[in-house]
Amino acid sequence: MKKVLALMLCFALTIGCLTGCGKAPAGEEAPAEGQNETTEEQEGAQAPENEDPGVELDMSKTVKIGVLVSDSTTAESLAFQSYYKDYIASNYNVELVYSDELTDAAGEKSAIDTFITNNCKAVISFSSFDRMAQLEQCAGAGIYYAVATGTLTDDEYAQVKDNEYYVGAIGPSLEIEFQTGYDMAKYYLDQGKTRFAIFGGAIPYYTEMHIYRAAGMLTAMVEAGGGDYQGASDKDAIIGKLFETASIETGSIGSVEILGYVGGYDMDDAWFAKCGQMAQTEGLEVILAVGNGSDFFGSSIAGTDVKIASVDAYATAYGEAMEGGMLDYLAGKFSASIGPIFIATYSATLGAPIRTEDGCALALSQGYWVATSAEQFNEFYAVDSSTEAPAYTKNMLDTLLGTDYATFEAFVSKYSFEEIQTMQ
Amino acid sequence: MMRKQNFKQQVINLTPFMGLLLLFAVFMVLGTIKDINVAYGMKTIVNQSIVVAIIATGAVFIYTLGSFDISLGASAAVSALTGGMAYNATGNLFVAFLVCIGLAVMISLFNSILASVFNLPVFVTTIAMLSVLNALVLVLIRLNGTGDEIAVPSAAVKPLDTIGFKLVVLIVYWCLCAFVFCFTKIGRKQKLLGGNPICAKLTGISDKKMAIIAFAMAGIGVGLGAFVSIVYAPTLTRNTASSVGMDVIIAIVFGGMPVSGGARSKIQSAVIGAFSMTFLSQIMTILNLNSGIGQMVKAAIFLLVVFVATFNQRNKMLPR
Repeated sequence: MKKVLALMLCFALTIGCLTGCGKAPAGEEAPAEGQNETTEEQEGAQAPENEDPGVELDMSKTVKIGVLVSDSTTAESLAFQSYYKDYIASNYNVELVYSDELTDAAGEKSAIDTFITNNCKAVISFSSFDRMAQLEQCAGAGIYYAVATGTLTDDEYAQVKDNEYYVGAIGPSLEIEFQTGYDMAKYYLDQGKTRFAIFGGAIPYYTEMHIYRAAGMLTAMVEAGGGDYQGASDKDAIIGKLFETASIETGSIGSVEILGYVGGYDMDDAWFAKCGQMAQTEGLEVILAVGNGSDFFGSSIAGTDVKIASVDAYATAYGEAMEGGMLDYLAGKFSASIGPIFIATYSATLGAPIRTEDGCALALSQGYWVATSAEQFNEFYAVDSSTEAPAYTKNMLDTLLGTDYATFEAFVSKYSFEEIQTMQ
Repeated sequence: MMRKQNFKQQVINLTPFMGLLLLFAVFMVLGTIKDINVAYGMKTIVNQSIVVAIIATGAVFIYTLGSFDISLGASAAVSALTGGMAYNATGNLFVAFLVCIGLAVMISLFNSILASVFNLPVFVTTIAMLSVLNALVLVLIRLNGTGDEIAVPSAAVKPLDTIGFKLVVLIVYWCLCAFVFCFTKIGRKQKLLGGNPICAKLTGISDKKMAIIAFAMAGIGVGLGAFVSIVYAPTLTRNTASSVGMDVIIAIVFGGMPVSGGARSKIQSAVIGAFSMTFLSQIMTILNLNSGIGQMVKAAIFLLVVFVATFNQRNKMLPR
């Protein structure tokens, strides 16, 4: 026992010496524990050197970039990972270091600690448990931080837009999420469908994007049905109602009926039984899902006329579901949509950050590709899954390196399939 | 011959610690070759190990009895969430600290008392408790009414989010546990009870009393771990500490603790195992092995360490 204690003491002292007396790599000040503000030394060491767009960038050194992964199994995350691993990593002089699948804020912090240890110069985050803490940690260590998909709220952006280490966010804004739900419901309402069921995904967990998509659906129903949803008849009131209840009430909205609702991702037998029961509701015409619908309801509607509409990404499984009549409408992210945020991040690490005219971080919105037939899906998927010529190719992305905000913003705003094809 | 056997036994006893030193050396060598930030890396390793090390140190008492508690992670989550709510209600971090410790000890004692009342194996009650606590996590988050999280302002915990504070918590708690485990009757009784419960009972040792003490010690560890979790990442969600339960089991076994408990139990196993696991994870990251391959390599090394550590114990179990 004494020997072990003595050995452990020696070991602890060694660790103590190393943690206390270590030297940070050149050009980077190791942050003090708990430090949240950028020190002047860090600013001096890491501050962007190049404010002049168009200057040739030195890409000879391999840049390490950490990627925070929140999910490594869904179609969306696999498509994103494939684009980074199979295309970006092989076309740029970067080493992408991936975190494990993260499940909480502590995991995010721990993963960023690991990235800093491994001398990553930037972090691209797919994880959103505590984005403000992520940025604070990255800025404290003098490395860049970017949000890969989704956007910050207005309040959050106002707090961090001037932070030089915050590259920005490109993804569907909450406004686009609302519009996505609205367009999905309207597509069927215009066809004369009136009997719906809704899959609310993470609404019970107050996930904003799912609440906004559902609010869009309900707003379209209110407009078409001529009634109100639980006393709410406009967009803001409906969003407020959903945040209040974290659920969707079944019942009539004028001439439109919500026959069923399932929320959450319990994934147990009772939950799947509830899904099956909802899909087989008599008279049901359409299941609107704020996320993946075909996986949970597809088999239950086989052989019926019930349609399923989903929001997710372009993946083989959805193509098969569309071919098999288990999916009718897909609003999907295209995997290359994360290309511009990579370029913005990479550009920042090379000393040429892309900022707005006011010197603020990027806050750009990008929407979905909508497929309403198997043919259309296949056309989109062929481009989206290509590792030779994806939607955003190296040639296209190279035009953004070190560019000015206007050019970058114009590029990102043209995200529809047709617009991207034209750019190619 | 005797001397040779003693030497062999000592080598085997030191295997987990040698494994830790080896991992440390590999980390340093690879870190130097790959030019990583070793100084920051050491802080990272402490940060990533500390919660598991603290909770696992307390859990050694339960494992020594030949039992195990599968609900430790969920208990830590409930304690942390309640501690967070206590801070938000009072604005006092010390209150949050007391709530974390108090609740964790209560949950732990409830486990052991439940097992005594129904005369069930302790691990059976902890399985039931795991479900209850997981449900309680969701209830607490919903009760808090802030959506999907309970967040303590980061500014409030920032002064404590230092390596020094965390190491002090670990060292003080470890010393307390080591003292009770190695230098009091409680430790000896627990080892005897874990090694041979029949013999222990015949000598007058109360298994219920020992179980309550073991769970109380583990509860303190869970409470401390929960508080350190709040300090490290003050945004708490339903997944907070979700992996801690399994990590504690792995750390204890990785550190050379016999799963059957008894006389060969070691209080240092938890800390050695927790730090070894983190070094291994960091090495995998330095080598940029993806999560799947990394997990497989870790599993293989885990099996190897357990094999070596238990090599000399086979066929030498006391009758139970």
